[in-house]
Amino acid sequence: MIKILTPFEKISKLNKTLILVGWLVLLIIIWFATTSGEKHLFPSPAQVLTGFSDLYREGLVVHIFNSLKLCFISIFLATIISLFFAYAWPIPLLKSISEFITKFRFLPFTGLSFYITMVIHEARMMQVWILVIFLTTFLTTSLIAVIKDIPQEEFDHAKMLKCNRWEVLVQVIILGRIDYVIDVIRQNLAITWMMLVTVESIVVASGGLGFLIKNSDKFMNTGRIIALQIIILLIGLGLDAGINYLRKVVFRYSKI
Amino acid sequence: MKHEYKETLLYVENLSVGYDDTIIIKDISLIEKDVVREGVDCTGQVIAFVGRSGRGKSTFFKALTGLIPTNSGKILIRDFENKEPNAAKSVCEGDIGFVDQKYTLFRHKTVTEALKFSLRKTTLSNTEKDQKIKEYLKEWGLENCKDKYPNELSGGQRQRTAIIEQLFSSDQFIVLDEPFSGLDVGNIEEVKKSFELLGKSSESNTVIFSTHDIELAIELAQTIYVIGHPTINGKKENYGTIVAKYDLRDMGLSWKDYCDDHLKLSKEIIHQMMIS
Repeated sequence: MIKILTPFEKISKLNKTLILVGWLVLLIIIWFATTSGEKHLFPSPAQVLTGFSDLYREGLVVHIFNSLKLCFISIFLATIISLFFAYAWPIPLLKSISEFITKFRFLPFTGLSFYITMVIHEARMMQVWILVIFLTTFLTTSLIAVIKDIPQEEFDHAKMLKCNRWEVLVQVIILGRIDYVIDVIRQNLAITWMMLVTVESIVVASGGLGFLIKNSDKFMNTGRIIALQIIILLIGLGLDAGINYLRKVVFRYSKI
Repeated sequence: MKHEYKETLLYVENLSVGYDDTIIIKDISLIEKDVVREGVDCTGQVIAFVGRSGRGKSTFFKALTGLIPTNSGKILIRDFENKEPNAAKSVCEGDIGFVDQKYTLFRHKTVTEALKFSLRKTTLSNTEKDQKIKEYLKEWGLENCKDKYPNELSGGQRQRTAIIEQLFSSDQFIVLDEPFSGLDVGNIEEVKKSFELLGKSSESNTVIFSTHDIELAIELAQTIYVIGHPTINGKKENYGTIVAKYDLRDMGLSWKDYCDDHLKLSKEIIHQMMIS
Protein backbone atom coordinates (compact mmCIF):
# COMPACT_ATOMS: atom_id res chain seq x y z
CA MET A 1 0.00 0.00 0.00
CA ILE A 2 2.81 2.39 0.96
CA LYS A 3 4.63 1.38 -2.22
CA ILE A 4 2.01 2.89 -4.53
CA LEU A 5 2.29 6.20 -2.71
CA THR A 6 6.12 6.32 -2.68
CA PRO A 7 7.78 8.32 -5.47
CA PHE A 8 9.88 6.31 -8.04
CA GLU A 9 8.76 3.00 -6.55
CA LYS A 10 8.48 0.18 -9.08
CA ILE A 11 5.18 -1.72 -9.13
CA SER A 12 4.03 -4.86 -10.94
CA LYS A 13 2.04 -4.85 -14.20
CA LEU A 14 -1.01 -6.24 -12.38
CA ASN A 15 -0.90 -3.41 -9.85
CA LYS A 16 -0.58 -0.86 -12.67
CA THR A 17 -3.67 -2.30 -14.37
CA LEU A 18 -5.58 -2.35 -11.08
CA ILE A 19 -4.73 1.32 -10.44
CA LEU A 20 -5.88 2.27 -13.97
CA VAL A 21 -9.13 0.32 -13.65
CA GLY A 22 -9.68 1.85 -10.20
CA TRP A 23 -9.35 5.40 -11.55
CA LEU A 24 -11.70 4.62 -14.45
CA VAL A 25 -14.32 3.17 -12.13
CA LEU A 26 -13.98 6.21 -9.85
CA LEU A 27 -14.41 8.54 -12.84
CA ILE A 28 -17.56 6.72 -13.95
CA ILE A 29 -18.96 6.77 -10.40
CA ILE A 30 -18.30 10.52 -10.12
CA TRP A 31 -19.91 11.02 -13.53
CA PHE A 32 -23.03 9.11 -12.52
CA ALA A 33 -23.20 10.72 -9.08
CA THR A 34 -22.75 14.32 -10.20
CA THR A 35 -25.24 14.05 -13.03
CA SER A 36 -27.98 12.16 -11.23
CA GLY A 37 -29.88 15.25 -10.00
CA GLU A 38 -32.23 17.43 -12.01
CA LYS A 39 -29.75 20.31 -12.50
CA HIS A 40 -26.26 19.50 -13.71
CA LEU A 41 -23.69 21.25 -15.84
CA PHE A 42 -22.17 18.11 -17.29
CA PRO A 43 -24.40 15.76 -19.35
CA SER A 44 -25.36 12.45 -17.78
CA PRO A 45 -24.18 9.12 -19.26
CA ALA A 46 -27.69 8.57 -20.63
CA GLN A 47 -27.61 11.92 -22.45
CA VAL A 48 -24.19 11.11 -23.93
CA LEU A 49 -25.47 7.70 -25.04
CA THR A 50 -28.45 9.38 -26.72
CA GLY A 51 -25.97 11.79 -28.30
CA PHE A 52 -24.03 8.83 -29.75
CA SER A 53 -27.14 7.21 -31.26
CA ASP A 54 -28.37 10.54 -32.67
CA LEU A 55 -24.99 11.21 -34.24
CA TYR A 56 -24.92 7.74 -35.73
CA ARG A 57 -28.36 8.22 -37.30
CA GLU A 58 -27.22 11.57 -38.76
CA GLY A 59 -24.31 9.92 -40.59
CA LEU A 60 -21.48 10.06 -38.05
CA VAL A 61 -19.44 7.55 -40.08
CA VAL A 62 -19.52 9.78 -43.17
CA HIS A 63 -18.44 12.78 -41.08
CA ILE A 64 -15.58 10.80 -39.55
CA PHE A 65 -14.53 9.72 -43.04
CA ASN A 66 -14.57 13.36 -44.22
CA SER A 67 -12.50 14.51 -41.28
CA LEU A 68 -9.97 11.70 -41.74
CA LYS A 69 -9.76 12.46 -45.47
CA LEU A 70 -9.05 16.10 -44.74
CA CYS A 71 -6.52 15.08 -42.09
CA PHE A 72 -4.61 12.73 -44.40
CA ILE A 73 -4.59 15.09 -47.41
CA SER A 74 -3.31 17.97 -45.24
CA ILE A 75 -0.67 15.86 -43.52
CA PHE A 76 0.50 14.44 -46.85
CA LEU A 77 0.88 17.86 -48.50
CA ALA A 78 2.37 19.50 -45.39
CA THR A 79 4.88 16.66 -44.98
CA ILE A 80 6.11 17.01 -48.56
CA ILE A 81 6.52 20.79 -48.23
CA SER A 82 8.14 20.47 -44.77
CA LEU A 83 10.57 17.83 -45.98
CA PHE A 84 11.68 20.16 -48.75
CA PHE A 85 12.37 22.96 -46.26
CA ALA A 86 14.02 20.62 -43.76
CA TYR A 87 16.30 19.02 -46.35
CA ALA A 88 17.17 22.49 -47.66
CA TRP A 89 18.25 23.55 -44.15
CA PRO A 90 21.85 22.23 -44.44
CA ILE A 91 22.32 24.23 -47.67
CA PRO A 92 23.73 27.64 -46.61
CA LEU A 93 21.78 29.62 -49.24
CA LEU A 94 18.42 28.08 -48.26
CA LYS A 95 18.99 27.80 -44.51
CA SER A 96 17.48 31.22 -43.73
CA ILE A 97 14.30 30.38 -45.66
CA SER A 98 13.83 27.16 -43.68
CA GLU A 99 14.48 28.97 -40.39
CA PHE A 100 12.02 31.69 -41.44
CA ILE A 101 9.27 29.11 -42.11
CA THR A 102 9.59 27.78 -38.56
CA LYS A 103 8.94 31.28 -37.14
CA PHE A 104 5.52 31.39 -38.85
CA ARG A 105 4.12 29.03 -36.24
CA PHE A 106 3.70 32.04 -33.95
CA LEU A 107 1.27 33.69 -36.39
CA PRO A 108 -2.37 33.73 -35.31
CA PHE A 109 -4.69 31.28 -37.01
CA THR A 110 -7.43 33.72 -37.97
CA GLY A 111 -5.29 36.44 -39.57
CA LEU A 112 -3.73 34.17 -42.14
CA SER A 113 -6.98 32.36 -42.95
CA PHE A 114 -8.39 35.76 -43.94
CA TYR A 115 -5.80 36.04 -46.73
CA ILE A 116 -6.35 32.43 -47.77
CA THR A 117 -10.07 33.11 -48.23
CA MET A 118 -9.11 35.93 -50.63
CA VAL A 119 -7.04 33.56 -52.80
CA ILE A 120 -8.99 30.31 -52.53
CA HIS A 121 -12.76 30.40 -52.90
CA GLU A 122 -13.70 26.72 -52.70
CA ALA A 123 -14.44 25.79 -49.05
CA ARG A 124 -12.85 22.33 -49.04
CA MET A 125 -9.63 23.63 -50.65
CA MET A 126 -9.61 26.45 -48.15
CA GLN A 127 -9.75 23.97 -45.26
CA VAL A 128 -6.93 21.93 -46.80
CA TRP A 129 -4.60 24.91 -47.35
CA ILE A 130 -5.22 26.52 -43.97
CA LEU A 131 -4.21 23.22 -42.36
CA VAL A 132 -1.28 22.68 -44.75
CA ILE A 133 0.18 26.13 -44.06
CA PHE A 134 -0.05 25.78 -40.30
CA LEU A 135 1.10 22.19 -40.23
CA THR A 136 4.10 23.00 -42.43
CA THR A 137 5.43 25.45 -39.86
CA PHE A 138 5.21 22.90 -37.03
CA LEU A 139 6.47 19.94 -39.07
CA THR A 140 9.42 21.95 -40.45
CA THR A 141 10.39 22.99 -36.91
CA SER A 142 10.33 19.39 -35.68
CA LEU A 143 12.17 18.02 -38.72
CA ILE A 144 14.95 20.62 -38.40
CA ALA A 145 15.24 19.70 -34.71
CA VAL A 146 15.73 16.05 -35.77
CA ILE A 147 18.54 17.09 -38.16
CA LYS A 148 20.19 19.25 -35.50
CA ASP A 149 20.20 16.25 -33.15
CA ILE A 150 22.18 14.02 -35.53
CA PRO A 151 25.59 13.41 -33.91
CA GLN A 152 28.64 14.77 -35.78
CA GLU A 153 30.05 11.21 -35.84
CA GLU A 154 27.35 10.15 -38.32
CA PHE A 155 28.36 12.87 -40.78
CA ASP A 156 32.06 12.06 -40.29
CA HIS A 157 31.35 8.38 -40.83
CA ALA A 158 29.68 9.09 -44.18
CA LYS A 159 32.55 11.37 -45.21
CA MET A 160 35.04 8.66 -44.31
CA LEU A 161 33.25 6.34 -46.74
CA LYS A 162 34.06 8.82 -49.51
CA CYS A 163 30.54 10.27 -49.66
CA ASN A 164 30.37 13.67 -51.29
CA ARG A 165 28.31 16.33 -49.52
CA TRP A 166 25.09 15.41 -51.40
CA GLU A 167 25.57 11.75 -50.56
CA VAL A 168 26.02 12.73 -46.90
CA LEU A 169 22.69 14.57 -47.09
CA VAL A 170 20.97 11.58 -48.69
CA GLN A 171 22.50 8.84 -46.54
CA VAL A 172 22.59 10.52 -43.13
CA ILE A 173 19.63 12.88 -43.22
CA ILE A 174 17.16 11.64 -45.84
CA LEU A 175 17.54 7.85 -45.64
CA GLY A 176 19.09 7.73 -42.18
CA ARG A 177 16.24 9.62 -40.55
CA ILE A 178 13.21 8.57 -42.62
CA ASP A 179 11.69 6.79 -39.62
CA TYR A 180 11.93 10.03 -37.65
CA VAL A 181 9.67 11.70 -40.25
CA ILE A 182 6.89 9.30 -39.29
CA ASP A 183 7.53 9.99 -35.62
CA VAL A 184 7.45 13.74 -36.22
CA ILE A 185 4.07 13.32 -37.95
CA ARG A 186 2.87 11.29 -34.98
CA GLN A 187 4.05 13.88 -32.48
CA ASN A 188 2.37 16.67 -34.41
CA LEU A 189 -0.80 14.64 -34.93
CA ALA A 190 -2.40 15.97 -31.77
CA ILE A 191 -2.03 19.54 -32.97
CA THR A 192 -3.20 18.53 -36.48
CA TRP A 193 -6.28 16.83 -35.12
CA MET A 194 -7.06 19.79 -32.85
CA MET A 195 -6.59 22.30 -35.71
CA LEU A 196 -8.64 20.16 -38.07
CA VAL A 197 -11.73 20.25 -35.87
CA THR A 198 -11.34 24.02 -35.48
CA VAL A 199 -10.89 24.55 -39.22
CA GLU A 200 -13.95 22.41 -39.97
CA SER A 201 -16.00 24.56 -37.62
CA ILE A 202 -14.70 27.86 -39.05
CA VAL A 203 -14.93 26.97 -42.74
CA VAL A 204 -17.92 24.76 -43.36
CA ALA A 205 -17.41 22.50 -46.39
CA SER A 206 -18.13 18.78 -46.53
CA GLY A 207 -19.21 18.24 -42.94
CA GLY A 208 -16.76 16.55 -40.61
CA LEU A 209 -16.47 16.27 -36.83
CA GLY A 210 -15.79 20.00 -36.38
CA PHE A 211 -19.00 20.80 -38.26
CA LEU A 212 -20.95 18.43 -36.00
CA ILE A 213 -19.53 20.05 -32.86
CA LYS A 214 -20.43 23.50 -34.12
CA ASN A 215 -24.02 22.40 -34.83
CA SER A 216 -24.39 20.75 -31.45
CA ASP A 217 -22.93 23.85 -29.81
CA LYS A 218 -25.58 26.06 -31.38
CA PHE A 219 -28.42 24.10 -29.76
CA MET A 220 -26.60 23.56 -26.46
CA ASN A 221 -26.84 19.82 -26.97
CA THR A 222 -24.26 18.91 -24.35
CA GLY A 223 -24.83 15.14 -24.62
CA ARG A 224 -23.90 15.26 -28.30
CA ILE A 225 -20.89 17.52 -27.64
CA ILE A 226 -19.41 15.12 -25.09
CA ALA A 227 -20.17 12.14 -27.35
CA LEU A 228 -18.29 13.92 -30.16
CA GLN A 229 -15.39 14.85 -27.88
CA ILE A 230 -15.07 11.18 -26.91
CA ILE A 231 -15.11 10.14 -30.58
CA ILE A 232 -12.49 12.76 -31.52
CA LEU A 233 -10.27 11.71 -28.61
CA LEU A 234 -10.54 8.01 -29.47
CA ILE A 235 -9.81 8.55 -33.18
CA GLY A 236 -6.80 10.74 -32.27
CA LEU A 237 -5.43 8.09 -29.91
CA GLY A 238 -6.10 5.40 -32.52
CA LEU A 239 -4.19 7.33 -35.19
CA ASP A 240 -1.30 7.90 -32.77
CA ALA A 241 -1.03 4.21 -31.93
CA GLY A 242 -1.49 3.20 -35.60
CA ILE A 243 1.32 5.45 -36.86
CA ASN A 244 3.66 4.32 -34.08
CA TYR A 245 2.93 0.68 -34.94
CA LEU A 246 3.52 1.39 -38.65
CA ARG A 247 6.92 2.97 -37.91
CA LYS A 248 8.04 -0.05 -35.89
CA VAL A 249 6.82 -2.54 -38.49
CA VAL A 250 8.22 -0.76 -41.57
CA PHE A 251 11.55 0.31 -40.03
CA ARG A 252 13.08 -2.56 -38.10
CA TYR A 253 16.08 -0.44 -37.14
CA SER A 254 13.93 2.28 -35.63
CA LYS A 255 14.32 2.61 -31.88
CA ILE A 256 13.26 6.09 -30.94
CA MET B 1 63.06 -11.72 -35.13
CA LYS B 2 64.75 -9.91 -38.03
CA HIS B 3 62.84 -7.14 -39.73
CA GLU B 4 63.50 -4.72 -42.53
CA TYR B 5 62.07 -1.28 -43.35
CA LYS B 6 60.73 -0.92 -46.88
CA GLU B 7 58.89 1.97 -48.52
CA THR B 8 57.27 4.86 -46.68
CA LEU B 9 53.56 4.40 -46.02
CA LEU B 10 52.76 7.52 -43.99
CA TYR B 11 54.60 10.83 -43.93
CA VAL B 12 53.51 13.71 -41.71
CA GLU B 13 55.50 16.94 -41.62
CA ASN B 14 55.04 19.91 -39.29
CA LEU B 15 51.30 19.41 -38.92
CA SER B 16 49.47 22.15 -37.03
CA VAL B 17 45.78 22.61 -36.28
CA GLY B 18 44.09 25.46 -34.48
CA TYR B 19 40.69 27.10 -34.09
CA ASP B 20 40.42 30.88 -33.97
CA ASP B 21 43.44 31.95 -31.91
CA THR B 22 43.93 28.64 -30.11
CA ILE B 23 46.54 26.20 -31.32
CA ILE B 24 45.50 22.61 -30.59
CA ILE B 25 48.41 20.68 -32.10
CA LYS B 26 51.65 21.97 -33.58
CA ASP B 27 54.73 20.69 -35.39
CA ILE B 28 53.75 17.04 -35.53
CA SER B 29 56.09 15.09 -37.78
CA LEU B 30 56.39 11.35 -38.25
CA ILE B 31 57.36 8.75 -40.80
CA GLU B 32 56.01 5.21 -40.84
CA LYS B 33 57.45 2.61 -43.19
CA ASP B 34 56.35 -0.79 -44.33
CA VAL B 35 58.04 -3.42 -42.21
CA VAL B 36 58.81 -6.88 -43.52
CA ARG B 37 59.71 -9.72 -41.20
CA GLU B 38 61.82 -12.68 -42.06
CA GLY B 39 59.73 -15.83 -42.39
CA VAL B 40 56.40 -14.03 -41.95
CA ASP B 41 54.07 -13.60 -44.95
CA CYS B 42 52.28 -10.47 -43.82
CA THR B 43 53.10 -7.88 -41.20
CA GLY B 44 50.75 -4.96 -40.99
CA GLN B 45 51.82 -1.85 -39.12
CA VAL B 46 50.23 -1.04 -35.77
CA ILE B 47 50.93 2.41 -34.34
CA ALA B 48 49.66 3.66 -30.98
CA PHE B 49 49.20 7.20 -29.77
CA VAL B 50 49.03 7.75 -26.05
CA GLY B 51 48.74 10.89 -24.01
CA ARG B 52 46.70 12.52 -21.32
CA SER B 53 43.21 13.85 -22.08
CA GLY B 54 43.05 17.18 -23.87
CA ARG B 55 46.47 16.85 -25.51
CA GLY B 56 45.07 16.79 -29.05
CA LYS B 57 45.01 13.11 -29.96
CA SER B 58 41.49 13.25 -31.44
CA THR B 59 42.28 16.50 -33.26
CA PHE B 60 45.40 14.90 -34.72
CA PHE B 61 43.36 11.90 -35.89
CA LYS B 62 40.71 14.12 -37.47
CA ALA B 63 43.40 16.12 -39.28
CA LEU B 64 45.12 12.94 -40.36
CA THR B 65 41.92 11.58 -41.88
CA GLY B 66 41.05 14.86 -43.57
CA LEU B 67 37.99 15.55 -41.42
CA ILE B 68 39.25 18.93 -40.26
CA PRO B 69 41.44 21.40 -42.14
CA THR B 70 45.04 21.91 -41.05
CA ASN B 71 46.69 25.30 -40.53
CA SER B 72 50.00 24.10 -41.90
CA GLY B 73 51.92 20.94 -42.64
CA LYS B 74 51.85 18.04 -45.00
CA ILE B 75 50.26 14.58 -44.81
CA LEU B 76 51.29 12.08 -47.47
CA ILE B 77 50.36 8.42 -47.81
CA ARG B 78 51.55 5.70 -50.17
CA ASP B 79 49.63 5.87 -53.44
CA PHE B 80 48.76 2.23 -54.05
CA GLU B 81 47.26 2.93 -57.46
CA ASN B 82 50.63 4.22 -58.68
CA LYS B 83 53.01 1.33 -59.18
CA GLU B 84 56.13 3.56 -59.02
CA PRO B 85 58.22 2.84 -55.92
CA ASN B 86 57.59 5.31 -53.08
CA ALA B 87 54.75 7.03 -54.99
CA ALA B 88 52.86 9.23 -52.54
CA LYS B 89 49.73 11.36 -52.50
CA SER B 90 48.24 13.98 -50.22
CA VAL B 91 45.51 12.72 -47.92
CA CYS B 92 41.93 13.48 -48.94
CA GLU B 93 38.72 12.81 -46.98
CA GLY B 94 38.14 9.05 -47.08
CA ASP B 95 41.69 7.95 -47.97
CA ILE B 96 42.34 7.01 -44.36
CA GLY B 97 39.50 5.14 -42.66
CA PHE B 98 38.33 6.38 -39.29
CA VAL B 99 36.50 4.38 -36.65
CA ASP B 100 35.25 6.48 -33.75
CA GLN B 101 34.70 5.42 -30.15
CA LYS B 102 31.01 4.69 -30.78
CA TYR B 103 31.67 2.52 -33.87
CA THR B 104 29.23 4.62 -35.89
CA LEU B 105 27.47 2.83 -38.75
CA PHE B 106 24.59 3.78 -41.04
CA ARG B 107 21.56 3.04 -38.86
CA HIS B 108 19.38 2.22 -41.89
CA LYS B 109 21.71 -0.32 -43.50
CA THR B 110 22.19 -3.97 -42.61
CA VAL B 111 25.77 -5.26 -42.29
CA THR B 112 25.75 -6.55 -45.88
CA GLU B 113 24.21 -3.35 -47.24
CA ALA B 114 26.78 -1.25 -45.36
CA LEU B 115 29.70 -3.27 -46.70
CA LYS B 116 28.28 -3.14 -50.22
CA PHE B 117 27.98 0.63 -49.91
CA SER B 118 31.60 0.96 -48.81
CA LEU B 119 32.68 -0.98 -51.91
CA ARG B 120 30.62 1.17 -54.29
CA LYS B 121 33.61 3.15 -55.57
CA THR B 122 35.82 0.14 -56.27
CA THR B 123 36.21 -1.34 -59.74
CA LEU B 124 35.00 -4.77 -58.62
CA SER B 125 32.01 -6.36 -60.35
CA ASN B 126 28.87 -7.07 -58.34
CA THR B 127 29.74 -10.77 -58.11
CA GLU B 128 33.25 -9.96 -56.92
CA LYS B 129 31.87 -7.54 -54.33
CA ASP B 130 29.45 -10.19 -53.03
CA GLN B 131 32.28 -12.70 -52.89
CA LYS B 132 34.57 -10.31 -51.02
CA ILE B 133 31.84 -9.44 -48.52
CA LYS B 134 31.09 -13.12 -47.98
CA GLU B 135 34.77 -13.89 -47.36
CA TYR B 136 35.21 -11.08 -44.85
CA LEU B 137 31.97 -11.90 -43.03
CA LYS B 138 33.19 -15.47 -42.59
CA GLU B 139 36.73 -14.54 -41.60
CA TRP B 140 35.62 -11.88 -39.13
CA GLY B 141 32.86 -14.05 -37.59
CA LEU B 142 29.97 -11.93 -38.80
CA GLU B 143 28.15 -14.49 -40.97
CA ASN B 144 25.18 -14.66 -38.59
CA CYS B 145 24.85 -10.87 -38.57
CA LYS B 146 24.81 -10.22 -42.29
CA ASP B 147 21.16 -9.15 -42.33
CA LYS B 148 21.17 -7.36 -38.99
CA TYR B 149 20.91 -3.61 -38.45
CA PRO B 150 23.42 -1.81 -36.18
CA ASN B 151 20.90 -1.65 -33.31
CA GLU B 152 20.72 -5.46 -33.40
CA LEU B 153 24.51 -5.97 -33.14
CA SER B 154 26.71 -6.36 -30.07
CA GLY B 155 29.52 -3.85 -29.40
CA GLY B 156 32.14 -6.21 -30.80
CA GLN B 157 30.10 -6.97 -33.93
CA ARG B 158 29.54 -3.27 -34.54
CA GLN B 159 33.23 -2.58 -34.18
CA ARG B 160 34.23 -5.34 -36.59
CA THR B 161 31.66 -4.15 -39.13
CA ALA B 162 32.96 -0.57 -38.80
CA ILE B 163 36.56 -1.72 -39.33
CA ILE B 164 35.76 -3.83 -42.42
CA GLU B 165 33.67 -0.99 -43.84
CA GLN B 166 36.59 1.45 -43.50
CA LEU B 167 39.04 -1.14 -44.80
CA PHE B 168 36.92 -1.63 -47.95
CA SER B 169 36.57 2.06 -48.57
CA SER B 170 39.96 3.50 -47.57
CA ASP B 171 43.45 2.88 -48.88
CA GLN B 172 44.60 0.34 -46.30
CA PHE B 173 44.96 2.91 -43.51
CA ILE B 174 42.69 2.79 -40.50
CA VAL B 175 42.59 5.16 -37.58
CA LEU B 176 40.74 4.06 -34.44
CA ASP B 177 40.00 6.63 -31.76
CA GLU B 178 40.16 4.90 -28.39
CA PRO B 179 38.84 1.54 -29.60
CA PHE B 180 39.14 0.00 -26.13
CA SER B 181 37.36 2.61 -24.08
CA GLY B 182 34.39 1.27 -22.18
CA LEU B 183 34.83 -2.32 -23.41
CA ASP B 184 34.68 -5.39 -21.19
CA VAL B 185 37.42 -8.06 -21.21
CA GLY B 186 35.64 -10.13 -23.87
CA ASN B 187 35.21 -7.22 -26.22
CA ILE B 188 38.84 -6.14 -25.75
CA GLU B 189 39.88 -9.61 -26.87
CA GLU B 190 37.64 -9.26 -29.93
CA VAL B 191 39.26 -5.93 -30.85
CA LYS B 192 42.71 -7.47 -30.40
CA LYS B 193 41.66 -10.23 -32.79
CA SER B 194 40.53 -7.56 -35.29
CA PHE B 195 44.00 -5.98 -35.12
CA GLU B 196 45.55 -9.38 -35.74
CA LEU B 197 43.28 -9.99 -38.73
CA LEU B 198 44.10 -6.57 -40.15
CA GLY B 199 47.83 -7.22 -39.83
CA LYS B 200 47.56 -10.61 -41.46
CA SER B 201 45.32 -9.59 -44.36
CA SER B 202 47.75 -7.21 -46.10
CA GLU B 203 51.39 -6.21 -45.84
CA SER B 204 50.49 -2.54 -46.25
CA ASN B 205 47.61 -2.41 -43.75
CA THR B 206 48.39 0.31 -41.25
CA VAL B 207 46.39 0.60 -38.05
CA ILE B 208 46.74 3.76 -35.99
CA PHE B 209 44.96 3.91 -32.65
CA SER B 210 44.82 5.92 -29.47
CA THR B 211 44.41 4.50 -26.00
CA HIS B 212 44.79 5.29 -22.33
CA ASP B 213 45.79 1.69 -21.64
CA ILE B 214 49.60 1.70 -21.90
CA GLU B 215 49.94 -2.06 -21.48
CA LEU B 216 47.56 -2.67 -24.38
CA ALA B 217 49.48 -0.18 -26.51
CA ILE B 218 52.74 -2.01 -25.77
CA GLU B 219 51.12 -5.39 -26.45
CA LEU B 220 49.65 -4.43 -29.80
CA ALA B 221 51.73 -1.65 -31.33
CA GLN B 222 55.15 -1.65 -32.93
CA THR B 223 55.54 2.10 -32.59
CA ILE B 224 54.20 4.22 -29.73
CA TYR B 225 54.00 7.99 -29.88
CA VAL B 226 53.35 10.08 -26.78
CA ILE B 227 51.40 13.24 -27.44
CA GLY B 228 51.66 15.90 -24.78
CA HIS B 229 52.31 19.56 -24.07
CA PRO B 230 56.03 20.19 -24.74
CA THR B 231 58.37 22.15 -22.49
CA ILE B 232 60.42 24.60 -24.53
CA ASN B 233 63.13 26.71 -22.88
CA GLY B 234 61.73 25.80 -19.49
CA LYS B 235 58.20 26.92 -20.38
CA LYS B 236 55.35 24.43 -20.74
CA GLU B 237 53.46 25.15 -23.95
CA ASN B 238 49.69 24.79 -24.32
CA TYR B 239 49.53 22.82 -27.55
CA GLY B 240 49.94 19.12 -28.26
CA THR B 241 52.85 17.60 -30.11
CA ILE B 242 54.83 14.37 -30.17
CA VAL B 243 57.00 14.43 -27.06
CA ALA B 244 58.35 10.89 -27.31
CA LYS B 245 58.54 8.03 -29.77
CA TYR B 246 59.23 4.39 -28.97
CA ASP B 247 59.99 1.95 -31.78
CA LEU B 248 59.39 -1.40 -30.17
CA ARG B 249 60.82 -3.23 -33.19
CA ASP B 250 64.21 -1.57 -32.81
CA MET B 251 64.02 -2.02 -29.05
CA GLY B 252 63.48 -5.75 -29.59
CA LEU B 253 60.12 -5.67 -27.80
CA SER B 254 57.76 -6.31 -30.70
CA TRP B 255 56.18 -9.67 -31.55
CA LYS B 256 57.20 -11.25 -28.24
CA ASP B 257 55.54 -12.13 -24.95
CA TYR B 258 55.18 -9.56 -22.19
CA CYS B 259 58.31 -9.40 -20.01
CA ASP B 260 60.17 -7.08 -17.59
CA ASP B 261 61.42 -4.90 -20.42
CA HIS B 262 57.82 -4.17 -21.43
CA LEU B 263 57.07 -3.20 -17.85
CA LYS B 264 60.04 -0.81 -17.81
CA LEU B 265 58.85 0.73 -21.06
CA SER B 266 55.36 1.11 -19.63
CA LYS B 267 56.77 3.07 -16.67
CA GLU B 268 58.85 5.23 -18.99
CA ILE B 269 55.81 6.04 -21.16
CA ILE B 270 53.69 6.89 -18.11
CA HIS B 271 56.51 9.19 -16.91
CA GLN B 272 56.58 10.94 -20.30
CA MET B 273 52.81 11.36 -20.19
CA MET B 274 52.89 12.82 -16.71
CA ILE B 275 55.51 15.45 -17.49
CA SER B 276 53.77 16.59 -20.64
